Amino acid sequence: MAEVPSTPEPIQRLIEAFHRLPGIGPKSAQRLAYHILRTSEQEALALTEAVMDVKRRIRLCSVCLNITEADPCGYCSDDRRDKTVVCVVEQPLDVLAIERSGGYKGQYHVLHGVLNPIEGVGPEDIHVRELVIRLQAGEIQEVIMATNPSLEGEATAMYVQRLLGPAGVRVTRLARGLPSGADLEYTDDVTLARALEGRREI
Amino acid sequence: MSTRPRSYNTEGVVLRRRNLGEADSIFTVFSPTEGKFDAIAKAVRKPKSRMRGHLEPLTRSQMHLAHGRNLDVFTQAETIAAYLTVRDDLDRLTLAVYCCELVDRFTVDRAVQSDLYDLLVDLLEALDAGAPLTVGRYFELRILASTGYEIQLSRCAICGGSIPEGETLFSVGSGGLACAGCRGSAGAGRLISVRAIKAMRFATGATMGQFAGLRLEAELEAELQRALSEAIRSVLERETNSGRYVEALAGPLQRPVHEAPGDVQ
Repeated sequence: MAEVPSTPEPIQRLIEAFHRLPGIGPKSAQRLAYHILRTSEQEALALTEAVMDVKRRIRLCSVCLNITEADPCGYCSDDRRDKTVVCVVEQPLDVLAIERSGGYKGQYHVLHGVLNPIEGVGPEDIHVRELVIRLQAGEIQEVIMATNPSLEGEATAMYVQRLLGPAGVRVTRLARGLPSGADLEYTDDVTLARALEGRREI
Repeated sequence: MSTRPRSYNTEGVVLRRRNLGEADSIFTVFSPTEGKFDAIAKAVRKPKSRMRGHLEPLTRSQMHLAHGRNLDVFTQAETIAAYLTVRDDLDRLTLAVYCCELVDRFTVDRAVQSDLYDLLVDLLEALDAGAPLTVGRYFELRILASTGYEIQLSRCAICGGSIPEGETLFSVGSGGLACAGCRGSAGAGRLISVRAIKAMRFATGATMGQFAGLRLEAELEAELQRALSEAIRSVLERETNSGRYVEALAGPLQRPVHEAPGDVQ
């Protein structure tokens, strides 16, 4: 790569910055940097402002730990939402997914991670303690565990159940089964077994 | 011959998963015929993936792989056993994950160790069938033995002399029990009880099922657990991730909710 040193330093810096983003390889980083070079100053400014706004104005809600601009966040301060049920998710994006479904009108709690015994991520590394403290107020009666149906998500759900169950809080788990448009033939045994367990009358 | 087949079949237990890029994952698999290896499953994190559920960690699957330039690529996978009971119980799950991590750490890539594979499958099946968690100790002893770190339990590991009945020094650095005369040269270790020695001796000659039938008191089990995890730590020269996790599960957050989190020591 003889041409690399001849790239002007500001462009090189931009390429390196893009390269640090997830999923961006050296070629993509170069393409993005040269694209920015060609765009108008306004567009470039809008991009920098958007990036800075995210860093300056977005923080974690002090109640549910979702990402938010106002504290407490829109879900936590909305009086029309059910205050007695809280849905526990792994990531802020999961909140959006559940909201999109339109079937839930309660509170949220974002763990920002999941217990991972294989990689050594323990309860202290995710926001479980905040959930425990939240429950001490006594208003919440049901905790819905909406972690992913993976080994890590299941471990987290079981851990929270063990933690909260003895205190008389109802801990529930999202149902597991076949996704829409799935092929029964290719479905794994775990999913099929769970789907049979959770079958419903039609 | 340079014309090796472009793809191959194997069965294996999935030890761990790492995400790669947008939708791919790298899986570490332990196979009786290939040893331990890493392979990529493309687009496995997309909801329409046909392999996703068959490659969850702790699943024993039949796999079909294509040789890749760097890592091999999964083309098909089908579950042989998913160990549902293990997945439904936090303690069983944690122990199974711990044993998988031990296999991962005690093996090198592509080294075939079918006896170790049988041991792992035995463990998963025993846990799935409701065996007591003490089978974890049997697994620890056996994995040490089958990877060349057998603990010397019948004679003194240093002088080869007999071990009189009584509390004995268990010194991992010297490879097992040290008699009273060798205690000075054995280095660091811990005293273990006659019952613990007997339980470990029994394990070396017994099957997992026979060991599972042994009723160990909680105190004795804790002693064995301490001694063996110390042995494992000393061989691996590091803590295991899931071992730390077992401790975390018993840690302060384990307390009931009605106790204020500030109260824990």
